[in-house]
Amino acid sequence: MAEKYQLKKTEVWDGNMAAAHALRQAQVDVVAAYPITPSTPIVQNYAQFLADGYIDGEFVMVESEHSAMSACVGASAAGGRVATATSSQGYALMVEVLYQASGMRLPIVMTVVNRALASPLNIHGDHSDLYLGRDAGWIHLICNNPQEAYDLTLCAFKIAEDERVRLPVTTNQDGFLVSHTAQVVHPLDDDTAYKFIGDYKPLNPMLDTENPVTYGAQTEEEWHFEHKANQHKAIMDSFPVIEEVFQQFKDLTGREYKTIETYKMDDAEIALIVMGSTYETAMVAVDEARKKGIKVGVVMPRVFRPFPYNQLAEILKNVKAIATLDRSAPMGTTGALYNETAGALMANGQSAILTNYIYGLGGRDTTVEHLLQVIEETQQNAEAGKRVTPLQGFINLRGPKLSFN
Amino acid sequence: MLRIRWHSRAGQGAVTGAKALADVMARTGKFVQAYSVYGAEKRGAPMTAYDKIDDNPILDHSKWMSPDYVLVIDPSLVYQEEIVENTTDDTIFIVTSHLPKDELVKIAKHLEGRPLYVLDAIKISQEEIGRPIPNTPVLGAFVKVSGIIDFDTFLESIEDILSKFPQKIIDGNLRAIKRAAEEVQ
Amino acid sequence: MATPKEMLTTWDKIQFGAVLPSFEDPKTKKRSKFHSYNYKVADWRVEKPVFNPDLCINCDFCWVWCPDSCILVEEVTTKRGKKQAKMVGIDYDHCKGCGVCVDVCPTPIKSLLMFPEHTPIEEALAQWPKKEDKKKD
Ligand code: SF4
Ligand code: SF4
Repeated sequence: MAEKYQLKKTEVWDGNMAAAHALRQAQVDVVAAYPITPSTPIVQNYAQFLADGYIDGEFVMVESEHSAMSACVGASAAGGRVATATSSQGYALMVEVLYQASGMRLPIVMTVVNRALASPLNIHGDHSDLYLGRDAGWIHLICNNPQEAYDLTLCAFKIAEDERVRLPVTTNQDGFLVSHTAQVVHPLDDDTAYKFIGDYKPLNPMLDTENPVTYGAQTEEEWHFEHKANQHKAIMDSFPVIEEVFQQFKDLTGREYKTIETYKMDDAEIALIVMGSTYETAMVAVDEARKKGIKVGVVMPRVFRPFPYNQLAEILKNVKAIATLDRSAPMGTTGALYNETAGALMANGQSAILTNYIYGLGGRDTTVEHLLQVIEETQQNAEAGKRVTPLQGFINLRGPKLSFN
Repeated sequence: MLRIRWHSRAGQGAVTGAKALADVMARTGKFVQAYSVYGAEKRGAPMTAYDKIDDNPILDHSKWMSPDYVLVIDPSLVYQEEIVENTTDDTIFIVTSHLPKDELVKIAKHLEGRPLYVLDAIKISQEEIGRPIPNTPVLGAFVKVSGIIDFDTFLESIEDILSKFPQKIIDGNLRAIKRAAEEVQ
Repeated sequence: MATPKEMLTTWDKIQFGAVLPSFEDPKTKKRSKFHSYNYKVADWRVEKPVFNPDLCINCDFCWVWCPDSCILVEEVTTKRGKKQAKMVGIDYDHCKGCGVCVDVCPTPIKSLLMFPEHTPIEEALAQWPKKEDKKKD
């Protein structure tokens, strides 16, 4: 039996330590990983907990991230609770197997520390990897600080393993800005955390030799579409379960999570839409702007997949102008959050003046001051009643002003 | 919000120092943020670490900071003008140097007229801990100068934070902290 | 081979995660409709292996090598009381005619040989090479 870890009511953890403790408390059966910056300390801390006797499960060091996710798929199909961690290039190498995991409906939890994709090589945070895995059939949860990285990793197991869902889940935290930033975290004790998640219930385990099953069957034209549609429905239908798990977590801890987070949106005339730790920085900017009389709010999809488009439209009902902020280079079009927001508005017969900003690539700093500029430009659009600023702008980019219309 | 910026060389313990200060202050009920600005750097490369301490949860995740305190834990970095970047006239500098204040300012002209405290944290750590890891003595000097927390409470917390180390290391660090508090001027 | 029409279910009744059980009832080992045993692939075959029991030494090489588990065996007890798998024939519903079994058969005159699909077994056995034939070439 694993030893109990004595935690204080208040710990000062960075996001990596927070995620590692959540994995430890979940009593994962198999963690297979190939460490990569900036998520390395998740795996390193986990291995340390194992060496110190706090973990009963297996830890498998493999030779690549492709192998890490493959080992996770094998272990999950075999019938165990399975988790891993990765970032950036590692995530990219896993992509093929991410689709396998979701298609086989394996409830693997992956704690992702978001990082830029080469080339040029960069170890710092942006959302290139998250966007790369966008359509892979995983549920993606966004964490903005170490407390959320801890809380949502616990929730991730409960969501993934729910019999109404049975889909893999990633938790995402910004490289360095969250992963390496120590903040106050209020953890649960080991027993309470484990009880919240509950025992793992295997479904069609391959290790049940009495009842052999085949995983990874081939389905050609006559089958494939039905399977994919069924899988899509499963992820579309996961919202109620996600909300239920968030509610149970709130009942237990008092900490509230919503599928879409909002700040000061009740009377907002303009809105920013942003994911990741910049959402919190934007809250500070919103407070500053409101001092100057600008009625601005900020919105964050806590759940990026499935994407809560109808809910988003509802929140934006009375808003005149919206700036969507994407932390990934869209390489040839508008950013993903712009597209999602435009789609959400159109689907609900709404319209607002919509602009897109690319920010924070490769860890580029985005300050309150920068966000205040975005708010001011969005306010100009609202006042003019039409778009007077570029369709797509770039925040804190050196050089002559770059924009697209 | 109190803002502190550390200047160090990778491997001198600024990250550990910043995290220790955050831990100490969190124990008093404050909200904290401790982070550092990394390159993909080698041991010895100049780097910065940061603390934010506040009564409310800290939401600003940007790296930019105008510090209230600048702690320079490497004696050679005192001469680099980067240490005054984004500071105000009120920013307090606590730096490690073997030179007395007036002589130091003659060479490090960017510190002229600045609120400045000096201690020889390298010498202190070498003599008390046996290794040139100047983070804890500079932390001791900071607590003394800022009065941010009662000194004995600070010592208790640090002792607890270091508890995973051998007793010899803990004692050395505590001696170094106390001596730094006495010698800083 | 195309999936039989009666097997084509709709998206809402599809097999979860495309995970296919071997048995409908694991206790009685009743094969499920997904079991590959239900899929007859014999129509791929141009040549079929024919088994000549008179020459076979029951080495089971063919049983080990056949990629489609088409070598039918029976459990027998030898004179010395040892249990052994005795080669009894070929499952022509699943044999795809690859010829691997013929290739690995070690008897001096092969106990398995490929014949055109339409050649009746008796005719094939009648055409079997004799020792003399072999010496000639
Ligand atoms: S021909 Fe191929 S498939 Fe048929 S029995 Fe021989 S080895 Fe098996
Ligand atoms: S390989 Fe030939 S000899 Fe051996 S069991 Fe098969 S048919 Fe008989």
